Amino acid sequence: MARVVIDPITRIEGHLKIEVEVQNGKVTNAWSSSTLFRGLEIMLQGRDPRDAYLFTQRACGVCTYVHGLASIRSVDDALGAKVPDNGRLIRNLLHGAQYVHDHPVHFYHLHGLDWVDIVSALKADPKKTADLTTKVSPNCPGSGVNDFKAVQDRVKKFVDSGQLGPFANGYWGHPAYKLPPEANLMVVAHYLTALRQQARTARLMAIFGGKNPHIQSMTVGGVTCATDLTPDRIAEFKYLWKETMDFVNNVYIPDVLAVASFYKDWGKIGGTKNFLAYGDFPMGPKEPDSFLLPRGAIFNRNLARIEPVDVTQITEQIKHSWYEGDPKGLNPAKGETKPKFDKYDPDARYSWMKAPRYKGEPMEVGPLARVLVAYGKGVPAVKENVDAVLKKLAIPADALFSTLGRVAARAVETKIIGEAMGTMLGQLVENLKKGDLNICDERTWDQMPAEGMGAGLNDPPRGALGHWIDVKDKKIANYQLVVPSTWNLGPRDADDKRGPLEEALMGTPVVDPKRPVEILRTVHSYDPCIACGVHVIDTHSNEVYKFEVV
Amino acid sequence: MFDKHILVLGVGNILLGDEGTGVRLIQKLEEEYVFSENVELYDGGTLGLKLLEPICRSDFAIVVDIVRAGGAPGAIYRIEEKDLSRKIPYKSSLHELNIVETLIYAEELGNKPQTVVIGIEPGDYTSWSTELTGPVRNRMEDFVAAVLGEIENAGGAWKKAEQPVKIGRVV
Repeated sequence: MARVVIDPITRIEGHLKIEVEVQNGKVTNAWSSSTLFRGLEIMLQGRDPRDAYLFTQRACGVCTYVHGLASIRSVDDALGAKVPDNGRLIRNLLHGAQYVHDHPVHFYHLHGLDWVDIVSALKADPKKTADLTTKVSPNCPGSGVNDFKAVQDRVKKFVDSGQLGPFANGYWGHPAYKLPPEANLMVVAHYLTALRQQARTARLMAIFGGKNPHIQSMTVGGVTCATDLTPDRIAEFKYLWKETMDFVNNVYIPDVLAVASFYKDWGKIGGTKNFLAYGDFPMGPKEPDSFLLPRGAIFNRNLARIEPVDVTQITEQIKHSWYEGDPKGLNPAKGETKPKFDKYDPDARYSWMKAPRYKGEPMEVGPLARVLVAYGKGVPAVKENVDAVLKKLAIPADALFSTLGRVAARAVETKIIGEAMGTMLGQLVENLKKGDLNICDERTWDQMPAEGMGAGLNDPPRGALGHWIDVKDKKIANYQLVVPSTWNLGPRDADDKRGPLEEALMGTPVVDPKRPVEILRTVHSYDPCIACGVHVIDTHSNEVYKFEVV
Repeated sequence: MFDKHILVLGVGNILLGDEGTGVRLIQKLEEEYVFSENVELYDGGTLGLKLLEPICRSDFAIVVDIVRAGGAPGAIYRIEEKDLSRKIPYKSSLHELNIVETLIYAEELGNKPQTVVIGIEPGDYTSWSTELTGPVRNRMEDFVAAVLGEIENAGGAWKKAEQPVKIGRVV
């Protein structure tokens, strides 16, 4: 039996540590540990609830807006603020902007190289690659023989210089890589296209956000970006959105399908049983009924029965986490954060994450959960797109419960949310034309209640996110966050049941324990994001004083 | 009259004490100085790839960050591109990128600006706090001077604001 520990050496004392046991080439046990304590909740106590979103946006290095949205929604809920139609639309458009940026970045830049062998791409024939691309994605620009030759030269330059850049330390040549050289080159070329596109797409957020990357246009009961609702600004948004959707439809989705067609065996690997979606994108005033992607829970893969969600049934258990209190934990509305570290011990306590459970069960959250809930509920756009993917890949619906399903679900929802953004932008323009300029609750802060408890639920790219707030005397008395990565990557619970990622890793084939690319495929498929929010350059140099200037 | 677009990119997390020094410096520049039109101040927080857009449209980037290089807290460093560690540990990149990695991406796109890092050795950068520690706070004027000098070298102009702008900041 081999023990494989993947413990990233990062700039700080570590983020996510995965430990697995491998027997006869398969994972037989797994532990997921976050080695960083998050104490943001404590810092928020006693502050003005209107300011919380400015803090929570800084909690994460990637998903700034969504922590702002969850926070504002929690205050809306606590104080009964009513978000008018335009406020709803603009919040949705900002949220959509996050999706159409993050999901393609995940596929190409954070996950793609687990499936695509960059060194093999150097062996590809550019002419054959151009022919392949014409077949796979006929509307993709930059697909000529010379384009692929140029990409190959550029990558070769990096490889020859011994500085692979983002491509360093990959498991190139590992037998688990299945794409032929031409397919590898095609996706590597699009990796660069996607990089260029994401830099442009990132600007979407700034248009109604006031300031990027930490937006400042949120307020209790709506938004404040009145001066940005001009024909020019809206046209700019529309232009960038359209360009982004051309990329999604003509490059991203065809690539996902092309890569997936070589990895159909991953339709049987990396699956879990239970799924939770808070749902999001209210398309009308009624929540959650009007959500584009509905709220719901699935147990034991039963898509025929989508249960409604009752957030009072959520507990954060701590038997295997470094906290004091009842191992069975508390509901986040009454949650506590009392750290108590002893040591890393997989048989006892081994993570700074709590173990969130719904009705006592571990639940996977994120793209796959949202898409499965919508699919089970028969949401037409989701059903149509998912069935098209299954047909194209000639795989059964069961194959959705897998690492492959997780990657495909991300692509499907990018398309659906992206298309809905067009509809929402149209509605916003119609409202403005009619003279409806209302963007937030008309009551002032003084007219709102001084007390209340609220939950701000949203379903951002990485999955179900909840902020819970208790307002007393217009100040924050208690604040708790339950973030998607805690649901997915948290440890075992009070009954010793594994968390979703731990469960998903069971049975994963590992050809070579020293080069565990198969494990990374499933870990990365969750788009893990744990201790972002920390930033420091380490010079790795002994000659420090030569840099000192003043 | 100004041909080079200069980006002053402050990065870091302002909720973790000295972690946020780069952003604090940007806030200070916004409040106390006025710059020529080719100088852009940017609070990059802890983002990675999303910073590629401002980086790629600049000709010269001054990255302001904390740098752990073994000196005493408050030590100020000037690091040129060639001295930054260039390897991205792909297999361990479980989350987003750091600024060094982002610069390598810019290079891949063929849009990398000339870059220099002005850094300061942090004291405490892992505890939750919105305040800088003493040794770093005491060096802020020197840190500002180092960045202003760099702006000038790059072809930007600045002057002290006659009336400091009071920006009502929560964080």
